[in-house]
Amino acid sequence: MSANILEVRDLQTQFNTLDGVVRAVDGVSFDLARGETLGIVGESGCGKSVTALSILRLIPPETGRIAAGSIKFEGEELTTLGEEEMKRLRGHRISMIFQEPMTSLNPVLTVGTQIAENVVRHMGVPWRAARERACEMLDLVRIADARRRLDEYPHQLSGGMRQRVMIAMALSCDPQVLIADEPTTALDVTIQAQILQLMLELKEKTGTAIVLITHDLGVVAETTERVVVMYAGRKVEEAPVEALFTEPLHPYTRGLMRAIPRLDIEADAAGTRPRLQEIPGLVPRLTQPIPGCAFAPRCGFATGRCAVESPPLLDVGAGHTVACWEVDRVRASAL
Amino acid sequence: MTAYIVRRLFATLPVMAVVALFVFFLLRFAPGDPAAIIAGEDATAEAIAAVRGKLGLDRPMVEQFFVWILQLAQGDMGVSIFSNLAVTRLISQRLEPTVALTLSTLFVAVALAIPVGVVAAWKARKLVDRLVMGFAVLGFAMPGFVLAYILIYFFAVQWQLLPVQGYRPIGEGLWPFVECLILPSVALGVTYMALIARITRASMLEVLAQDYIRTANAKGLATDRVLLLLALKNAAVPIITVIGIGIALLISGVVITETVFNIPGLGRLTVVAVLKRDYPVVQGLILVFAAAKVLVNLIIDISYAFLDPRIRY
Repeated sequence: MSANILEVRDLQTQFNTLDGVVRAVDGVSFDLARGETLGIVGESGCGKSVTALSILRLIPPETGRIAAGSIKFEGEELTTLGEEEMKRLRGHRISMIFQEPMTSLNPVLTVGTQIAENVVRHMGVPWRAARERACEMLDLVRIADARRRLDEYPHQLSGGMRQRVMIAMALSCDPQVLIADEPTTALDVTIQAQILQLMLELKEKTGTAIVLITHDLGVVAETTERVVVMYAGRKVEEAPVEALFTEPLHPYTRGLMRAIPRLDIEADAAGTRPRLQEIPGLVPRLTQPIPGCAFAPRCGFATGRCAVESPPLLDVGAGHTVACWEVDRVRASAL
Repeated sequence: MTAYIVRRLFATLPVMAVVALFVFFLLRFAPGDPAAIIAGEDATAEAIAAVRGKLGLDRPMVEQFFVWILQLAQGDMGVSIFSNLAVTRLISQRLEPTVALTLSTLFVAVALAIPVGVVAAWKARKLVDRLVMGFAVLGFAMPGFVLAYILIYFFAVQWQLLPVQGYRPIGEGLWPFVECLILPSVALGVTYMALIARITRASMLEVLAQDYIRTANAKGLATDRVLLLLALKNAAVPIITVIGIGIALLISGVVITETVFNIPGLGRLTVVAVLKRDYPVVQGLILVFAAAKVLVNLIIDISYAFLDPRIRY
């Protein structure tokens, strides 16, 4: 049995739009070990959600497709798996929670039904038993008075509670992998912390590996063990979380770090703090193939080679890889 | 909920009063005189006046109105000017064919339109969808009576599978009853079917793009459960609304269809009564139609609460 439960290799997911083919995910690879928490970070539109949807093969077939690459779950290739087998996998062995707890639950069904239908579908148990399981799950995600809540509708619950219900639903069939796509982005900061804490605790209990997709580096620092940084559909850096925060090696990762508001920087005499440094320029359009490094036009370290030749992933040791030609200069410069 | 229903039922009273007021005075302001029709074409002015006096039509209009309202309050709709039969009796005799035709049309239309609309939305922009929507446009554009004659020509005259026209009460056996209703229901229902199918498709398409459908798919639920339960229940409110509006369309459609298929229902009674200016009968019929419409609206409003838990009365 391989140590990795999920292995993604050179994934390419494309969408047909009126402007041409968008390469939303352009050759991304990563592994997920059993019971591990992996963070995928990047700004909006970098392809992190599409990566998640690709793993579950939920890319809408009318507009998008997985063009190339391999996704292996427990050694089984998912990109060529039949739709029926895929359906048996979804919600059972790999499940997913989404960003918008307000709209991700069906408004006309009780939360009990929505959790139980998953259990009935995948565990083959009768409804009565599935309802009991749903009740247990609501208890597990610490919703008070679970039995009464089973018969409530999503609109009767707050945003944080709905996300708890989503988690209860996702974990109801003991999945090996939980993909959480911006699970706390739509929530208040205090609720965010509770939900993240809950996810980590449940992970400890159940051994579920988690792919946590977020644009929030703070969330990554607190919850994940390893981080993949994506930019314009490509993986630009991957590192254990401490290494990434102590020594980010890709200029883009460094840019992201500098854009985090910090309270530990002293204000000057006039009471103003130094302005946050944004990354200059804009995310490139993904309708045209990008020959070199996608970040080159916005990068202070870029040379002529960066614009024409795509940098390979360079292993700098201790599980830290980075796709940058100028990594030595980046490393030498101050953070 | 009960309080709401009671409140709504009381609210129908003023509606019915307005309907009564309008139907009464509009009929009397319209040209045509039942007394002249009874007295015959060659009747003298005196003869007509005599008939009018006998019928009470010479009394002041307001007085006639209040006499009628008082009768109504006692459950009496008056007596037909021509047949001398009680209006309530005339209507109750003709009620069964019309109710049967309306319900069977509703059944045919809804039973076909909703699955077709769901499939069209599911296979949106594919061949099935284009075919379905093509037929919907055709069905919507074709007048019911034209279709009625086409159906009669093929199914009754050429292939002799179904009766040309007529009506058999359900008391005479189920198949004779159903047999007579098939063609009229289809002829009357096609427009209606097209309308419901289009709304079902539009409503389903909107629902299928929602986040909770993505959640359902991420749970690996079977396609039929996602489409038929999760999505359709969310899409139901606009569909039910259109079904309700359609019942108003049906009432006018029934008049034509009953005439084409020679069905002795309220529609034909209405045509005859209007042509003869049989005031009490027309008034009674309009009130019955209005009451039916109000009742249907109430049922539809109540059904919303069952379909969508966010709606509470």
